[in-house]
Amino acid sequence: MIERRDQESIVNYLADASNFKGNCEKVLVPASKDEVKEAIIEAAAKNIPVTFSGAGTGLTGGRVPLGGWVISTEKLNRIIDIDTSNKTAAVEPGLLLSDFHAAISKIGLYYPPDPTEQNSTIGGNFATNASGAKSYKYGPTRSFIESAEIILPSGETFFLPQTKNCGNLLSMKSSSGKEYNIPVDDISMPEVKNASGYYIKRGMRDIDLFIGSEGTLGFVSEISLRLMDIPNEVISAVIFFESDINALDFIDDLRSLRNRNISINPSALEFFDKNSLEFLREDFPGIPNDALAAVWLENDCYNSDPDKVTDVLISFCEKHKANLSGSWFASDAKDRNKFQTFRHAVSYKVSEFISSKNMLKVGTDTAVPVQFFRKFLNDSINLVSGNEIRYVLYGHFGDCHMHLNMLPENQDQLRIAREIYSDIIDSAIEAGGTVSAEHGIGKIKKDYLLRMYGFESIKKMAYIKKILDSENLFGRGNIFTDLMFE
Amino acid sequence: MKIVVCVSHVPDTATRINVSGDGKNIDSTGVTYIVNPYDEFAIEEALKHKEKSGGETYVVSLGGDANKETIKKALAMGIDNGILLKDDSYRDSLSVAKALAAEIKSIGADLVFFGKQSVDYDSSAVGQLTAELLGMPLISVVVDLSVEGSKVTAEREIEGGKEVIETTLPCVITTQKGLNEPRYASLKGIMAAKKKIIEEKPALAVANYVELLQMKRPPAKEAGKIVGTDVSAVPELVRLLREEAKVI
Repeated sequence: MIERRDQESIVNYLADASNFKGNCEKVLVPASKDEVKEAIIEAAAKNIPVTFSGAGTGLTGGRVPLGGWVISTEKLNRIIDIDTSNKTAAVEPGLLLSDFHAAISKIGLYYPPDPTEQNSTIGGNFATNASGAKSYKYGPTRSFIESAEIILPSGETFFLPQTKNCGNLLSMKSSSGKEYNIPVDDISMPEVKNASGYYIKRGMRDIDLFIGSEGTLGFVSEISLRLMDIPNEVISAVIFFESDINALDFIDDLRSLRNRNISINPSALEFFDKNSLEFLREDFPGIPNDALAAVWLENDCYNSDPDKVTDVLISFCEKHKANLSGSWFASDAKDRNKFQTFRHAVSYKVSEFISSKNMLKVGTDTAVPVQFFRKFLNDSINLVSGNEIRYVLYGHFGDCHMHLNMLPENQDQLRIAREIYSDIIDSAIEAGGTVSAEHGIGKIKKDYLLRMYGFESIKKMAYIKKILDSENLFGRGNIFTDLMFE
Repeated sequence: MKIVVCVSHVPDTATRINVSGDGKNIDSTGVTYIVNPYDEFAIEEALKHKEKSGGETYVVSLGGDANKETIKKALAMGIDNGILLKDDSYRDSLSVAKALAAEIKSIGADLVFFGKQSVDYDSSAVGQLTAELLGMPLISVVVDLSVEGSKVTAEREIEGGKEVIETTLPCVITTQKGLNEPRYASLKGIMAAKKKIIEEKPALAVANYVELLQMKRPPAKEAGKIVGTDVSAVPELVRLLREEAKVI
């Protein structure tokens, strides 16, 4: 097994895309699950904490170690098997999402989860229950996980199939025959897209506990994913509006008809404000000068007639006064990819700006129930627009999931941005929403998780962790503060 | 003024291509097709010219039914008329040019645009051959164009620089990246395109002068070699570059 100890080679594992920084004693790079087990058993015997590391593209410091060892999945990057008749694929955790998408599309198969960062790993997506634009129609990574193999701190293995549990107990038997009984004591999870804390709900599958647990309960050594057929056709459009109200009404209108069996049923429904468009103009000169908001929409056509979908789309655009001659409609795969780049470019552009100013980004990942979304949005805009701080507002508005990124340019602005962030979190919680819809809690959003769920619910999660990881060795510092274990 | 754009329907540049069983074609399984990227500059330039000086625009493509997708895109971008010269069989550049020239002649075009080459066979020949057959002047690999009355001024890329050429209408222009920023089809364009009918007619039957004997993949690239990961590897790297690769 490759072992890295010198600072030069371990420095890459000590931060992630959030720029949160940590430290570790060494980095282990196993090439098989047996090597992973070996490392885990040795660490447990020495009582050394272990942090699992994917591609380092996370935004909450989840893979950043606070001492101990790092186990990197970079060499566990194989597709083990693709079963075309049952439409499933078994993969190792270090497989890059982009490599997976490329491999299955060649054989006519489709895996909808598409977090912005295509260089993330499937294991990382599992650990954070990653989602992205298409979760609007298809749900997050969780919806596509059929089964998984989990290695516990004891070195024992769980193979968790697709079974549901009716009672209030998850009863899981490990490879050595040991039984683990985990109480499913309902916590009130928000009725929105959510990546905050453990998934605990009556009727959950065993595997659901581990999805989104941010490497705190076990190491996922093999993942079986559900696949779909590639749609016959994909309608994709970037629609420009001269008023953000019109764009938001357009989204509300389409969302209210979701799954109502009308011709249009978008898989992605994304919003961009005027500030986002300003960031994009340099790379996309075709953005109309008078555009003050945009919506990117994709509609996968399986049984629906693409022409009919287009007709309905156009009628919605007319109704909400979209700029018909300036809006873009993809004619082929190349255009569609370009529109996806348009969506992804906002985040890159923002990150570029932030690093050029050597500042931190203060960005929300909140989602709230639909009935409160517009009010939440207005309140958030009012909070941020009353001062000098630049900001961009975009996100998965189909899912009522808002990324409001503040771009402070000095320490004073940074302090104010953090106060605004805190206020926005409070109003998301008040509306029954989540503090993190897709990025996870990691090491930087624990206080907000506590605010969202309260001490008692977090204690329930910590109790479950203690059953599987009594010494708190896995993913130490993620989700829980030390206080939770006392 | 009548403006004609000739377009080619080609495999997506991001697609990995495999040779089909008969060794004479590509295997189209899983291959997505797009408008030839250089032809998008041609379409955009035709539209810009029409917006500035008026006229009627035509898109012409030679091939099978699949080419209608590419014609539809041009129509959705704003081209007025679509013509498909139907022929599913293999054609060399000259026989393509002959069929296109016959069609362009019957339209009575004043200005004809091609992409500088299509990214499938990459012959970069059809524009030039068509111009010759039509007896029109041609300016190829154009990166800047102005048409004032019948006077045409074009800047084209040449080895190590650019040259500016003048000619008069009617003429043929082949377009290069940099000439313009092709627009996307607009929703309005999509609505208008639905009402436009693609005229289908058989491509002029002519003999090929070139026969395609066999297609094969280039030899696979050999695996790279990691000599080391720090400065201590430099002497060995230099030795290998000198003695094995013989590049320094």
